[in-house]
Amino acid sequence: MKKKLPLAGALRSKAFTLVVLLVILVALFTVLASVNNTRFFTARTFIGILSDLAVPSFLAIGAGCLIVSGNIDLSQASVGAMAGVILAVGISWWQIPWWGAIVLAIAASAAAGLLNAVIVNELGIAPFVTTLAISSVIKGITMLLSTDPGNILVSSIAFTTPATDAIAAASFGDIPATAIVMVAAFIVYGLMLAKTKLGKSIYLIGCNRVAARLSGLGEKKISYFLFINCSALGGVSGVILSLRSKQGTMLALQSDQFTGVTAAILGGISFSGGSGGMGGAFMGLLVIKTFNKGMMIADSNTYLTFVLSGVLLIAALTMDYVSVRRQRKRAGA
Amino acid sequence: MEYLEFRNVGKAFPGVVALDGVSFTARAGKVVALLGENGAGKSTLLKILSADIKADTGKVVLSGKELSFSSTAQAINAGISVIYQERQLIPAMSVMENVFIGELPVKNGLVDFNRLFLDTKAIIDKFGLPIDPEATVMSLPVAYQQMVEIMKAYRRDCLVIAFDEPTAPLTDTEIDILFNIIRQLKEAGKIIIYVSHRIREIFQITDEIAVLKDGRLVKTLTTPETDQQELISAMVGRDIGDTYASLDRNGEPGSVVLEVDNLCTDAVDNVSFTLRAGEIVGFAGLVGAGRTEVARAIFGADRILSGEIRLGGGSVRFKTPRDAIKAGIALCPEDRKEQGLVLWASIRDNICMPVLHKLKKLIFLDGAAQDRLTQAAVEKYSIRTPSLWKRALELSGGNQQKVILGRWTSDEVATRVLILDEPTKGIDIGTKAEIYQLVCDFAKRGVGVIFISSELTEVINVADRIIVMHNGHITGEVARQDATEEKVLSLAMLS
Ligand SMILES: Nc1ncnc2c1ncn2[C@@H]1O[C@H](COP(=O)(O)OP(=O)(O)OP(=O)(O)O)[C@@H](O)[C@H]1O
Ligand SMILES: [Mg+2]
Repeated sequence: MKKKLPLAGALRSKAFTLVVLLVILVALFTVLASVNNTRFFTARTFIGILSDLAVPSFLAIGAGCLIVSGNIDLSQASVGAMAGVILAVGISWWQIPWWGAIVLAIAASAAAGLLNAVIVNELGIAPFVTTLAISSVIKGITMLLSTDPGNILVSSIAFTTPATDAIAAASFGDIPATAIVMVAAFIVYGLMLAKTKLGKSIYLIGCNRVAARLSGLGEKKISYFLFINCSALGGVSGVILSLRSKQGTMLALQSDQFTGVTAAILGGISFSGGSGGMGGAFMGLLVIKTFNKGMMIADSNTYLTFVLSGVLLIAALTMDYVSVRRQRKRAGA
Repeated sequence: MEYLEFRNVGKAFPGVVALDGVSFTARAGKVVALLGENGAGKSTLLKILSADIKADTGKVVLSGKELSFSSTAQAINAGISVIYQERQLIPAMSVMENVFIGELPVKNGLVDFNRLFLDTKAIIDKFGLPIDPEATVMSLPVAYQQMVEIMKAYRRDCLVIAFDEPTAPLTDTEIDILFNIIRQLKEAGKIIIYVSHRIREIFQITDEIAVLKDGRLVKTLTTPETDQQELISAMVGRDIGDTYASLDRNGEPGSVVLEVDNLCTDAVDNVSFTLRAGEIVGFAGLVGAGRTEVARAIFGADRILSGEIRLGGGSVRFKTPRDAIKAGIALCPEDRKEQGLVLWASIRDNICMPVLHKLKKLIFLDGAAQDRLTQAAVEKYSIRTPSLWKRALELSGGNQQKVILGRWTSDEVATRVLILDEPTKGIDIGTKAEIYQLVCDFAKRGVGVIFISSELTEVINVADRIIVMHNGHITGEVARQDATEEKVLSLAMLS
């Protein structure tokens, strides 16, 4: 029998594939950028990528946890946009204090998650359909919220307070505070998934829901938690984006509709549930955002960016499909 | 004459040698039994036969021609059909679609559902079973699902048919039906391989016996010329004596721990019984008698329509299994693949599942405590595995069953009532004896045990009292001293 080398295992792991992918992307964009007489490989680029990550990272964390349990949420980005609009409208139209507006925005997001959870768990409707429908409902509500007293739909609502401006500008050296919050969130959720009873239960539910229920893991409670968590984190994304841009818009996060899900899958969290982790999700996100930034710096056409993003998504899903199949095959199941 | 020959077949998995130079021959018109302890390599041999996995060494020869297939579909076309230990049905599809899967009758480019129905009905009638061809497989009791699996293989009319523990989920009625079918196949000159842990069946239906131990062929015997003792010692390597007589039982049951009063659910009607602490109550009955459903209702897994359940005197009605577990009730489920195992998770995760909340250090899970609990179960049941981290799906069927037992019989879970639903399904005889003793040990510790089993000999010898069910009702109760198979059967058949 062949002895398994630990290195071989590491080389085959998803994280390693992603690191390779990342190196290739960086090299590729460095060359492309120099052809265009710009530079990719600079500190500014990387700090830029890091701060670009903050917003979608909360999407990826929420989506990742939910997918591990064998569920999915497609309404996350719409919820985020709603949260951003609530923050802006709250401050500039309703005149509530900035912290009150933030709390309201996150609470409304969590309520959307609760709605998803109720429909999925109590009515037994597939999460895919449920969250797609709720996404549409949320978009409608966001438009309603963006309509001013004169019945005019305002596409972007600006706001400014000393406190929110300070939060948006906070940084440690060159590294924005939101990036640090993001890293902390990845660590906390990563530990939760890998080391706690809740995390273990999420994996087991993702693998076999019936067995998990019969073992008393409280699969329903956990499902509620994960849906609410996913939407609330969607809200956090929206709020951060809003704080940074000093405005709320119903169009926010449009291009990030599937970023959370894609990052999670790319990072090895399988659609079929029960595998992957936060480290992978982070790497997945890093790959996506490096790609986007690179495309921007290499000054390619927007349409190409869209086409290639699609290709990246397909590549991620293929990797998921192939690796699940390979494992199944190896295990003889 | 047609024959099937295994020549020097070997196969290794990471950390285990599953088969090591196995050679033997099966002839047309004969039933060859493949016997051996859990993890001996029986299923692996059959999977090699059906081209589900590839052998590392050796070959399989059918009537002088070496077999080499790249897929199971090819093997089936070449006349080789293996009925796996784990059912391979599509639960949400109808019985008829499952029976004719891969070869649905077609008319004008569309599936001909009329013919499909009639052809399936013909097979079902031949078996003499009350199954509706249009029912979905998942709506059937496990035993009938197994019969559907057998019909699927029967329908293909293959030259070689291998059965991997076909009777594990069946009761005597279906076993009789199955044996009649096997006898017909034998007369038709088929080559039949039969795997089972039930010695009695080996003597009923087989002509020759090949005994595997740790992946090696240790003995081939002719059935009429051997006896139970010789078989067991070839298989286990020692004499296990009279299992039942040597059990160390609990003499005096204590006070009533569980009382069920007029319980009604979708599947059972007015079921009432009591269970004392330290008592083992057996549940016997035919398929669909409602034994599993009574257990699930008590455990909070199924909805209760009416009736009362009292635990230690206080009225309870658990909404979820979680509440039942908290109250000290454990239910080891009958269907290990769907309801028991988390196939993709490790042995350790599978065993620790219901007690994770007790294995914490501050907020994090305590790895060492999980290891200890798992190690204890692995030793108690002699689970054959190179590590605690192995995924459940890499274990042999019997070892998977042991994992489920290990999960539900740790001291932390079953503190008041232990419900075992077909606990010895797929377990070899050596370990069976240990499991019976373990059940008695629970009783001695004052736990009330409900022991559901379709193996009559087993229920009437292990339980202190046997409750017999038929069609959702309790039809009678027999004490162990008075229990005979005839008595229990007559209660199970008519009402
Ligand atoms: N896919 C797999 N990956 C790793 N090990 C495997 C795999 N399949 C089987 N094994 C190992 O090979 C050995 C033989 O398994 P096999 O399923 O053939 O046993 P068996 O004789 O059918 O036992 P049982 O009576 O429990 O069904 C076992 O130790 C098992 O753990
Ligand atoms: Mg087997």
